[in-house]
Amino acid sequence: MRTKQEYLIRYKDGNLYCELADIWIDPSKPVKKALITHAHFDHFTFGCEEYISTKETAILLKERVGDNIKIKTFEYGEEFKINGINISFHPSGHILGSSQIRFIFAEEKWLISGDFKLQKDQTCKQYEIVKTDYLISECTFGLPIFKWDQSNKIANDISKWITNSPEKTSLLFCYSLGKAQRLLNEISQTNFKGNIYSHGSIHKMNNIYRELGIDIKDTIKIENKKKIDELKGSLILLPPSLSKGSYLKNFKNIQTAFASGWMSIRALRKRSGYDKGFSISDHADWDGILEVVKKSEAKNVFFHHGDSEALSKYLVEKESINVLLFGK
Amino acid sequence: MSLKKFSELFGDLDSINSTNSKIEVLKNYFLSNDPIDNSWAIYLLTGKNNKRFISGRYLKNLFSQIYEYPHWLIDTCYLKVGDSAEVITLLLKNKTISRKKKLSNISLNELLSETLPALSKLNEEEKNLEIKNLWETLPEDNHLIFNKILTGTFRVGVSIGLITKSISKLINIEEEIISHRLMGDFKPSIDSYEFLINKNINLQELNSKPFPFLLANTIEDKIFKNSINDFQFEWKYDGIRMQLIKRSGNVSLWTRGQELVNESFPELVDKMSHIKDDFVLDGELLVWNFKEQIAFDFSLLQKRINRKSPTRLIQIKYPIIFIAYDLLEINGRDIREIKLENRRIELEKYFSKWQIKTENNISDIFKLCDLIFPKDWPDALTYKEKSRENNTEGLIIKKKTSIYSSGRKKGIWWKYKVDPMQLDAVLIYAKGGSGRRAGLYTDYSFALWKDKELIKFASAYSGLTNIEIKELDRWIRRNTIEKFGPVRSLKPEMVFEISFEKIQISKRHKSGIAVRFPRITKWRKDKKINDADSLENAYELMKKI
Repeated sequence: MRTKQEYLIRYKDGNLYCELADIWIDPSKPVKKALITHAHFDHFTFGCEEYISTKETAILLKERVGDNIKIKTFEYGEEFKINGINISFHPSGHILGSSQIRFIFAEEKWLISGDFKLQKDQTCKQYEIVKTDYLISECTFGLPIFKWDQSNKIANDISKWITNSPEKTSLLFCYSLGKAQRLLNEISQTNFKGNIYSHGSIHKMNNIYRELGIDIKDTIKIENKKKIDELKGSLILLPPSLSKGSYLKNFKNIQTAFASGWMSIRALRKRSGYDKGFSISDHADWDGILEVVKKSEAKNVFFHHGDSEALSKYLVEKESINVLLFGK
Repeated sequence: MSLKKFSELFGDLDSINSTNSKIEVLKNYFLSNDPIDNSWAIYLLTGKNNKRFISGRYLKNLFSQIYEYPHWLIDTCYLKVGDSAEVITLLLKNKTISRKKKLSNISLNELLSETLPALSKLNEEEKNLEIKNLWETLPEDNHLIFNKILTGTFRVGVSIGLITKSISKLINIEEEIISHRLMGDFKPSIDSYEFLINKNINLQELNSKPFPFLLANTIEDKIFKNSINDFQFEWKYDGIRMQLIKRSGNVSLWTRGQELVNESFPELVDKMSHIKDDFVLDGELLVWNFKEQIAFDFSLLQKRINRKSPTRLIQIKYPIIFIAYDLLEINGRDIREIKLENRRIELEKYFSKWQIKTENNISDIFKLCDLIFPKDWPDALTYKEKSRENNTEGLIIKKKTSIYSSGRKKGIWWKYKVDPMQLDAVLIYAKGGSGRRAGLYTDYSFALWKDKELIKFASAYSGLTNIEIKELDRWIRRNTIEKFGPVRSLKPEMVFEISFEKIQISKRHKSGIAVRFPRITKWRKDKKINDADSLENAYELMKKI
């Protein structure tokens, strides 16, 4: 067995790093060269000399970091070479532009799953099964208590939640990039035909999605001075950061909900302070992670982003898959 | 009507915060369901009976056995979820999502009056098969309710008061009457529901209705500006606040929680029924130390509260007394509008009469609350400080000219409680919480110094804010020395101020002391562990009493 230093990709200063190519994956501090799996804030940082990503991620990234960054883009499946290592992006189904990254060096394959889900999502490309020798997978929801319902069922629940309280303004909190657009897409296919408003940060992302050819229902940008009566019976999408503090005072007679995979647990739902929780996630559930591990045919698996103890033990005991630990 | 409806009701009640909306939801539920299902719903929602058909552990074992699931995996999931019924519900989702069996549409009544009672009669093997069968045939969104009822852990954020309000709204009859109808034994049946929603009020049924209790407020500084002579002073006893009612010859004992507790204290009911007059008394029930004429600890009273029809032996071992504070009604005449000082005169007058005229001696179970007469406010403070000596919690101060209104009315009654005792202690263990606090380390153990060693002396769960809990949880995860199941031993670093009400010698604890109601009152980030208190300091507190 090799020592940790000899792995093609390893943990360095809390980030994934490939020494041979001197390249970082989703680094949390400025570096020379950064591969970016997707444009969520916890997967990139400002000030890198060069970014490399898919086209869609690049556009979203520029929106967030600024136009003047140096960024190289590649199509899904297109291979490029750095120091003799073949690298390619593959759809991960998490949000628009999100990708897994595959490394091939001396016939050894490594795959970084990025954030991923297998569930259907009309706002981004479906997860692609990629075969590998080494898999580095996220495991945000790595316990069997997590089993997602079909997203159209959740959308119907949301629609019912709004229409059952016609006197109220329904505030649905969700991440502004990815989750909001997926929800809009799903909700527009339900019986709910009322007005949908979205916060500026979400509105901006909706427009980018639309420009990139994704079918997103038109929403009204929410203004602070909206009359209360106009909002009655309508849905307002807001980022979770606004759920606490004075922003809510702009509205009267509201009901609130949070759309997140964590909402499947009652204790977390209660503690969150929202009236209601809708359990919908852009990450894989337990079965999803197991399926990816098996179908990737990886002999060796690493986990990060989550509590991996139980998942690792399960794979070792039940599936005889070698689960390795990063030396952090 | 199906179990599904009840599951929906549970989901709604669980996700609504506004009281008015909850009442509305309940009202609509009662309107759209059969009387018998409504009756069961009320029975479950008011927590009248949480019969446990199987334990949470049994449920988890059964799931593990049927679906060949490792125990450790279920246990890990439990730590995140904090409720056995819910863990199994979530895990079942994986198992039943692709099932082909025809789903059953069983009603709440069928489940509770047929299916579950039948289950108790089966042997273990048959029982397991039947539960498996129910899991596989019940619609998925009924699993949580089913598992919760099965394990006797059905609970939802609905008080009896809320049920009372919604039925009161439903039939437009005042709440107190509904509240009374809901008292005592409630056997789920069509009749009991019909009785509950009967629009005709039978006068007889009002006869043992207690008055709404008047409650004391925390002391305010402005009171000290008034003359001490404007107030009546009583000890604040730590017992069960109670109205003792005798009307038309029938005695009833109502707690402040509106429970009829005649069956737990038959000797009191018997003695009081010998008094010739009718009356309503406001007072406190205590287990009494007759030799020293002070109250015994509340823990002894607990031995009596939940025991119905206590044996003669129990009655002798834990002798009770009713201490009357106030007279609210006498021979059918409501005197709550009379000034307190005059009510007290009436109370004393009748009490002396009863002592002489009643055939059986009543003074071994019934006495008046002694009044205290401090000279001035500093003297009142001295009395307050002494209250631990006679096992009371402090003083109750009542305005002499006040009438007996209801609730926590301002400016009439005050409680002047002794300050809690406090020690600074070091956090040494943390355990995962359950229920709403699942997935967070919220149960803490604290230690005091003994020479160079830290000795555990108390566990506490309450007192931190949610933000502090989260912050401490993160610290705990980073500073764990060892894990023993759900418990973590921690690097001794954090000091907390622990407050408690009582301290006494205990042979059961390594520290040699036990404290009552320990709680966290401050996170002493300013203190190092060497600044924490020692067991010596704790013993000194004990000497002071």
